[in-house]
Amino acid sequence: MGYAHVSLMLVILIQASFYVLLGMGYVLIYRATRVLNLAHGDLMVFGAFLFYQGLVITSGSVPLAITTGILGAALTGAIVYLGLMRPLAGYPVAVGVLATIALAIVLRSVTTAIWSGQTRYPAEYIGQLARPIELVSGLSISAIDAVIVLTALICILGLPLLLRRSAIGVEMRGVSENALLAAQRGINIHSVNALSWAAATVMAAIAGIFFSLKVRLGPDIWYVGLAGFAPALIGGMDSLRGVAIGALIVATAEVLAARFIAPQIALAAPFLVLLVALWIRPWGLFGSREELERI
Amino acid sequence: MRYLNVLPSTLRTSYAREMQLLDSGFAKFWAALGLVLMLGLPFFLTNFWNAVANQIFIAILGALALNLLMGTTGQISLGHAGFIAAGAFTVAAFVTHFNAPMVITLPAALIVGVVLGILVGLPALRLKGLYLAVSTLAAHFVIIAGLAQYQASISYGAGFIISPPSLLGWELGSERAWYYFLLGVALIVLLLHINWLRSAFGRAWMAIHHRDIAAEALGIRVAQYKLLAFSASTALTCFAGALWAYHTGFVSVEAFDIHMLIQFLAMVIIGGLGSVLGAILGAVFVILLPHVITFATEALPFVNDIGGRAFEIQVGLFGVIMLLFLAFEPRGLAGIWARIRFYFELWPFKYRSWEA
Repeated sequence: MGYAHVSLMLVILIQASFYVLLGMGYVLIYRATRVLNLAHGDLMVFGAFLFYQGLVITSGSVPLAITTGILGAALTGAIVYLGLMRPLAGYPVAVGVLATIALAIVLRSVTTAIWSGQTRYPAEYIGQLARPIELVSGLSISAIDAVIVLTALICILGLPLLLRRSAIGVEMRGVSENALLAAQRGINIHSVNALSWAAATVMAAIAGIFFSLKVRLGPDIWYVGLAGFAPALIGGMDSLRGVAIGALIVATAEVLAARFIAPQIALAAPFLVLLVALWIRPWGLFGSREELERI
Repeated sequence: MRYLNVLPSTLRTSYAREMQLLDSGFAKFWAALGLVLMLGLPFFLTNFWNAVANQIFIAILGALALNLLMGTTGQISLGHAGFIAAGAFTVAAFVTHFNAPMVITLPAALIVGVVLGILVGLPALRLKGLYLAVSTLAAHFVIIAGLAQYQASISYGAGFIISPPSLLGWELGSERAWYYFLLGVALIVLLLHINWLRSAFGRAWMAIHHRDIAAEALGIRVAQYKLLAFSASTALTCFAGALWAYHTGFVSVEAFDIHMLIQFLAMVIIGGLGSVLGAILGAVFVILLPHVITFATEALPFVNDIGGRAFEIQVGLFGVIMLLFLAFEPRGLAGIWARIRFYFELWPFKYRSWEA
């Protein structure tokens, strides 16, 4: 295997890491409130812009800017749940989906109204991002890419552990499995759900921060965030570990399509793979079959 | 006009009367007056507002199609901007490659719509709710990407210019000619639509909406009728897309982005899901809203500084209004209309007795 292949695999790995961060957000929200959050891409953009604003205000202090982005995203996620999704609980599935679409365009217009549609490059505030780290001789990965892959790895390993072992994780699982019973046992389901939304929004914001540092920042990158529902569905909407596999599949299809077919097709690749997956195995690779309302 | 109403309010004494579209002198009078007003309207409109009226007619076709699927059959679709695009590109392709006239392109768009509807509807036989929404949204992105690829390869990404068509010797060159053409098309489609809804098709679709398992048990072939609903809806949507292409005169893939999808969703939600009148009101509302906003920003001096952000504000307002309707008035404008009507019909009483 030549270096060309290995570097192509690295590109796939980095893209898959993005999808892991995004897809896990979809899964967290779906497990909490049984809603497919089509506003995820715009929540991602919003978080990334908060980070950018932090950078501008502190004139380049990365820790402060990241704190701004994460805290702001957590707050936004909780507000969205408490202000919008909680009142709509118990409505038909379609209403939830439509509400998140409406939320998405409200968020997008707010973002554009505040920061304008101009494309920014937050990486300008931080030097040394593209500094290559040599893995073996002749093969290197940039610093930001290394951070992206590491973060995704931490999420893949850490999040299931957190859900399995920690008290709050157990509460989250309880609410996801049977909200009524969980409430009976004294779990405050609304604060648990708000926490799920906040966590998912924070993960979206982190993905957005990475994307804005690596590529660019603008209101139009919501598309990247929206594509994250493809790995989530392929893996199974209620399965965290499924996301990792789904992300690898989608990233492979996307990168290979971009390399060998056409960039336009690469943009649609996640959705094409998703269509095929939905046709063959609608409940996803690791999802539970009962999740799917069948006829 | 019973099917334009949300609630029937006249007591009927025979089946023949029940089947009449306009069942009272009152309804006939208002329908005739409405038709005369619609026919006379272009003489009072400037060219600009005439064009807006034409956009409303095309939007009504799209909204009716989406309402047929989402409101009547209860199958959520997020792919309708893609279907509009497919219709528009059918026209673009036929005109570019074969220089085909309208009598060929419009039926072609219908056929493309039927095929697309079956393709997109097939997953609906296995999927419900959320998963169907996702698969139609995925279909939207795949269609748009494919069309973008086509556009890039044929016209180097510049888009397609479509000259004003003529239909059987009738040149559709001016907005006024378009107005009468589209008014006729909209009336025919509306009549067809209402008649579908009160035939066996409509009853089957509504049964599937309410409970598909029960519908199957009653002997309705759920798979067949779902596919039928999908293909009828996408065919009508592609048809609207084809008219859109001719009326706009320019087809480019950028026009069919997620905003168009949101506009159509807003039409059926704000209008009221499942109501024909709602689809019409929703289309009028959604097309007029940007103009009302522009008008308001020009009339009110203290909001002048939003000038450059009018588009964002308009899109954001769509979202806010959609959310408000979803949360507080799920029956939409049609529901509000029914309530107003009821108030006057029952006056001086407040409630109708349980069995009227």
